[in-house]
Amino acid sequence: MEPIIRLKDVSMVYGVNGTRATALAGVSFDVRRGEYVVITGESGSGKSTLLTVLGGLQVPTGGAVRIGGADLSALPADGLADFRRETIGFVFQAYHLLPYLTARENVMVPMSPERISPREKASLAGELLAAVGLAGMEDRLPSQLSGGESQRVAIARALVHDPPVILADEPTGNLDSATGKQVLDLFSSLHARGKTVLMVTHNLSNLARATRSIRLRDGRIEDDRTRRPLTAKPLAV
Amino acid sequence: MNIRVLAWKNLLRRKSRAVFTGLGIFLGIATFVAISSITSQMEGAVQDQLDRFGANIVVSPRTERLSLGFGDIALGGTEVAHSRLTMGDRERIASIHHKDRIRSIVPFLMTAVDASGKNVVWMGLPAADVAGARPWWKVRGGSELRRGEVLLGAEAAALLDKGPGGTVTAGNRLYRVAGVLQPTGEKEDGMVIADIADVQVLAKKSGAVTHFEVAALCKDCPVEDIVAQIGQALPGARVSAIRQVVESRKAAVDHLRRLGFGVSAIVLLIGGLMVLVTVMGGVQERTREIGVLRAVGFRKRSIFSLLFWETGWVSLISSLLGAGTGIAAAYLASPAFGIEHPAIVFSPAIFGAVVGFSLGLMGAVPPARRAAALSPTEAIRSL
Ligand SMILES: Nc1ncnc2c1ncn2[C@@H]1O[C@H](COP(=O)(O)OP(=O)(O)OP(=O)(O)O)[C@@H](O)[C@H]1O
Ligand SMILES: [Mg+2]
Repeated sequence: MEPIIRLKDVSMVYGVNGTRATALAGVSFDVRRGEYVVITGESGSGKSTLLTVLGGLQVPTGGAVRIGGADLSALPADGLADFRRETIGFVFQAYHLLPYLTARENVMVPMSPERISPREKASLAGELLAAVGLAGMEDRLPSQLSGGESQRVAIARALVHDPPVILADEPTGNLDSATGKQVLDLFSSLHARGKTVLMVTHNLSNLARATRSIRLRDGRIEDDRTRRPLTAKPLAV
Repeated sequence: MNIRVLAWKNLLRRKSRAVFTGLGIFLGIATFVAISSITSQMEGAVQDQLDRFGANIVVSPRTERLSLGFGDIALGGTEVAHSRLTMGDRERIASIHHKDRIRSIVPFLMTAVDASGKNVVWMGLPAADVAGARPWWKVRGGSELRRGEVLLGAEAAALLDKGPGGTVTAGNRLYRVAGVLQPTGEKEDGMVIADIADVQVLAKKSGAVTHFEVAALCKDCPVEDIVAQIGQALPGARVSAIRQVVESRKAAVDHLRRLGFGVSAIVLLIGGLMVLVTVMGGVQERTREIGVLRAVGFRKRSIFSLLFWETGWVSLISSLLGAGTGIAAAYLASPAFGIEHPAIVFSPAIFGAVVGFSLGLMGAVPPARRAAALSPTEAIRSL
């Protein structure tokens, strides 16, 4: 079976006012459907850059990225947007909820360009919020939610289009260990339901849940190891 | 929730920015609507006042020798005999196609007849039309002119040595002096003014008319058409528009209108620029938010319409409020502009609201395009 993610010699060089910063210097790896990959590395090693490239938010300056059979460099701008919507769920360290929208509305945001009845959108958002354990908090504003709750709203938002791949950039970075654990439980259950998860983290205790870990250093893969075998056959998603 | 609602919620969050953005459009539209509804009503009022300044068309006989112009009346016993106009021609003028535009038709008969032994010119016109045809006359000792009475021009009064209440003899009859005109600087200063029927008797010309003065209401009416129609009705007559009067009326109203349009155009332009600047500033502030939306799969077009709708809402609401305020302001301010019967004029309000709305949307295009063009890289960096 073709891997769901295939990176071949991907490099990313930022040009800033004449100076060049190499964030990725030839990264190649495959990810199979249903893997749970934790990406670690020092600050500035290129972890976030790698995620944005994987999510089709940036086109790498070199190499090829194939995800779900699609060659990202061949997609036009709208095609990339559609790819992100259908294939990728992003979760960020700082949640990035829209502060003027309630929890339910934040989850509805990815659907807002779509011609679905508002009632359908709201009920799907309600289901997703219930699934992340936030039933009853649908009408709260982000300012009325704790960090862990906010991050769970963000996860619900990432799941709206039921993407096969979840990309998370230090999702527990702003949380204490107890709430961080709840959020990690959520990722584990997503993984158990067949999602492919790639998570950037500083927290080495997160490694235990992953099936594989990749360590970056100066834009290169320094270490890539399988932590436990993919047991169950990955579910179709 | 769709893009429109998302845009609306975003606006509510930034109320003061929204108010500021809308203020330019609001003021522009309010000014435009107020000024144009006042000017359009003033056009009527100004026209009305100008129309009171007497005739703008003169109908005189076509003769070889006699040139009867307005205020340039050469007279003599034989020359008057050339007159071919009669009282009956009044009906023919009154029946032209544009008859509803004709405010008054006043027949005049000028003749030279001795009065109390002095040679003077008599001006005859229907006694009842004196006030309408010569509203600027100030009559000393004045009572209204009736048949059997005369008004004396200032010089004529001095020449005849008569004052109000005195009498003048002419054609073996006594005429009571109803009043004396204050000097006007015109030829009537030296004339004796009487009812046209009396002058016709004195001149022994029953029904004779030297010329007609026609006052046409010329709010956007073609004076030339009226002149041509009277010419057709009276083939023997010479019909001429008094250019000066006609043109000055047009000019007065045109200036007013141009002033109104100029002021509103400038205010509207400023409003449009305000929209542009504030929305442009908003894009910068919102790079991160746009990044989030790109990350969750918004296409460029969706980002564009989000920004566009935000401005759309502001423009729509401020245009409508501006139009309403403009109507109200015009209505309240009308008396100060000499409009006696203020009316609510809807056409400038509708026009203004549409223009303001479109202008606001036009101002929104550059920032919306810029937001849509924001590369995800740039937007995502702040994530
Ligand atoms: N948009 C950009 N323009 C220029 N340089 C950039 C840009 N984004 C990242 N970099 C540089 O690329 C390198 C990798 O950055 P990246 O954000 O991927 O690191 P990271 O591993 O996520 O670090 P951290 O753990 O601090 O989040 C850094 O040296 C950074 O300065
Ligand atoms: Mg990072």
